[in-house]
Amino acid sequence: MDFVLTQLAGFGAAFADLAGDPITYVYLIISVFLGITFGALPGLTATLAVTILTGFFGNKIPLEYSMIALLGAYVGAIYGGSYPTILLNIPGTAASAATAMDGHPLAKAGRGGEALGLTTTASFIGTLIGTFALLIFVWLLLLVSKNIASPEKALLALFGILLSGTLMSEDLVIKGWIAGLIGLAMAMVGLDPLLSEPRYTFGWSYLLSGFQVVPVLMGAFAVPQIIDGLRHMQIGKMVQLQGRILPNGKAIRRHMPTIARSGIIGTGVGALPGVGEDVAGWVSYGVGKSVSPDGKNFGKGSIDGLLSSETANNACIGGALIPLLVLGIPGSPPAAALMGAFKINNIIPGPTIDPEIILRVVAIMVMASFTMFIMGLFTARIFIKILRIPQTVFLPVVMVLTTIGSFSVGGGINDLYLMFGVGIVAYFMNMMRYPIAPLVIGVILGGLFDETFRRSLLIADGDLGVFISRPGAAILLALNIALIASQIPQVRSAYRRLIRKGA
Amino acid sequence: MHTQDDHAILRARDFWAALFLMTVSAFFLWQTSYIPLFGDNRAGVSGADWYNSAALVPLGIFGAMFILSVVLLVIAIRAGGAQTALQAAGIGWDAREALRFSTISIIIGLYIFGLVPRVDFVLCSGLLITALIYGFHRGLPQRMIVATAAVAIPALYALIVHLPRAEWNDPHDDDWITLAAWVVLSLIALRGPRDSVSRSIPAIAVMAPLILVCAMAFGFRQNVPNRGGLIFSQIEYHYYVTLRPLWRN
Repeated sequence: MDFVLTQLAGFGAAFADLAGDPITYVYLIISVFLGITFGALPGLTATLAVTILTGFFGNKIPLEYSMIALLGAYVGAIYGGSYPTILLNIPGTAASAATAMDGHPLAKAGRGGEALGLTTTASFIGTLIGTFALLIFVWLLLLVSKNIASPEKALLALFGILLSGTLMSEDLVIKGWIAGLIGLAMAMVGLDPLLSEPRYTFGWSYLLSGFQVVPVLMGAFAVPQIIDGLRHMQIGKMVQLQGRILPNGKAIRRHMPTIARSGIIGTGVGALPGVGEDVAGWVSYGVGKSVSPDGKNFGKGSIDGLLSSETANNACIGGALIPLLVLGIPGSPPAAALMGAFKINNIIPGPTIDPEIILRVVAIMVMASFTMFIMGLFTARIFIKILRIPQTVFLPVVMVLTTIGSFSVGGGINDLYLMFGVGIVAYFMNMMRYPIAPLVIGVILGGLFDETFRRSLLIADGDLGVFISRPGAAILLALNIALIASQIPQVRSAYRRLIRKGA
Repeated sequence: MHTQDDHAILRARDFWAALFLMTVSAFFLWQTSYIPLFGDNRAGVSGADWYNSAALVPLGIFGAMFILSVVLLVIAIRAGGAQTALQAAGIGWDAREALRFSTISIIIGLYIFGLVPRVDFVLCSGLLITALIYGFHRGLPQRMIVATAAVAIPALYALIVHLPRAEWNDPHDDDWITLAAWVVLSLIALRGPRDSVSRSIPAIAVMAPLILVCAMAFGFRQNVPNRGGLIFSQIEYHYYVTLRPLWRN
């Protein structure tokens, strides 16, 4: 209990510091507004919002303020996706795909205002649940992570890439792993971290420093979105919004068990490396359908269904920040973009991170969720108007934003060439249903994996037993092997036979 | 399109992708063979042991990628992907989609490789925005081709005439050609149906890059592409010479 109280006291001090600075509000209002706008516009995603703002704010303003801008946009964008989902039946972001199941039927039944009011409140509570978990668990994990050495780090990085590849694949799991390997391969370009041996530079001096994170992020997330979105589209008929967008206290109290359950599920899914808000929304929706008394009405305009996905996707944000801050492994694609922002500010998330940064992140998350809640209730009609802007009008502007953002991060014109190349590759990968998140996580964690894997072997004089002799490493190795084996058909059928025999 | 067709096309794409990935992995495995693995000497200095070699992790990555691409190839062949792939192009694109993709990538590619390094950012971004909105809002193939030509002419001119880095900032002939292409394309766009989108193109095309470049250069004090460009050089001059003294004094 003392531990929790100490944490709350630390958070209180960080919150007071943040709330007392007037500039905080400028960044918060702008970033949450931009985030909701990005989320509300179908074709723009939360990852893109954080990525583009990383190009703009990443290293151009003090880190304290750039964190406000990026986290504000992250929180806003995940929530903003609910607008087109409910009113147009088009998910604004992948995170709100599950919301469409019940949100749109509710709007068609003339309960759009009520649905938006409930999603605003549920998103707000969900973000707070995830943030509270971040405040408490990050410290417990930080204590554990002090014992993590090179072998554990290498295996953890590999586990993050494999898990992300496994869970983010829409088609074959092998495609997720290939995407992760492509990301790892990209991270190998440049001088190697231990011996400074040049690798795959082909005589181009720009490549000696390796692929920069921001152009890779911009290329992977922005360019395919722009190419894919530039097509003639008839905007669907928007359901007329009826009723006022107000938080319905009575309904929220009645559905509190659903909100609490979804918040916990969202946080848990977010804490898994590389698994994003879309998975959190669907998992929570699936669980809700099987355990909720209203389960049979899911998909027909159930409030329980709506709250299940909307609470979970926002709670996922806090969860996704836990592995990012504790282990340096992003919990979701937007968290990967945040990692890029940390990297260009020379901050290495992980066991050695400054605790002040964690407390500040928590304080920002709380302020951002309040800002999102207020904006959601009072400025919703502005966002509904924004929904009418066609993709073909805003995507060219996004292209210019991406170009200038990527250029100004540091690498100049070469970063733009890299961004374009990665963008074309990512477009074809999207087309062939390869997930992009494992690729980006591979790029981000590739350097760490290479360095820690070889350092482990160096310390052990080439003895591979170093990955078994330490208990933490042995557990992680077993998890990696189990994850790979679980996808081999022969192993799966043998396991099923074993289970049947046991039963 | 039928789901079964979708699946067949996807496996045909997987077939081609697996072959491509196998080639790429083999190429990089060959490239990795140039990195010392077993403690070779480099300029008289003994290299590292195998377990510390810079080639170790890349070998694992490209080896794993090669194996996974073989597995993908087997999956694709078993699902009939090879048959579909060899019957038709197997990509599953119709001519319209191929035109849409190729024109967008040509426009964006020429913008990044030809225009941004050599031409004023406001001018080239204005042209890009106009071309993309005009060319793709209605989804008409003719418009896509006109938009591509409008970007290709100044971009190829800039690329061919001012290829070396030394010529990227001066002279400004490529800036003028870009401006001319932008004006002509804007006029063509305005001649079409007068809907709200076509009316808003010039305003968006002028304001968006102007605001962005000014915010980046004077707000965040960051580097912007082609500082010596026709318009930005004037903005920068007047910012420092005309405007800034007003509040500094």
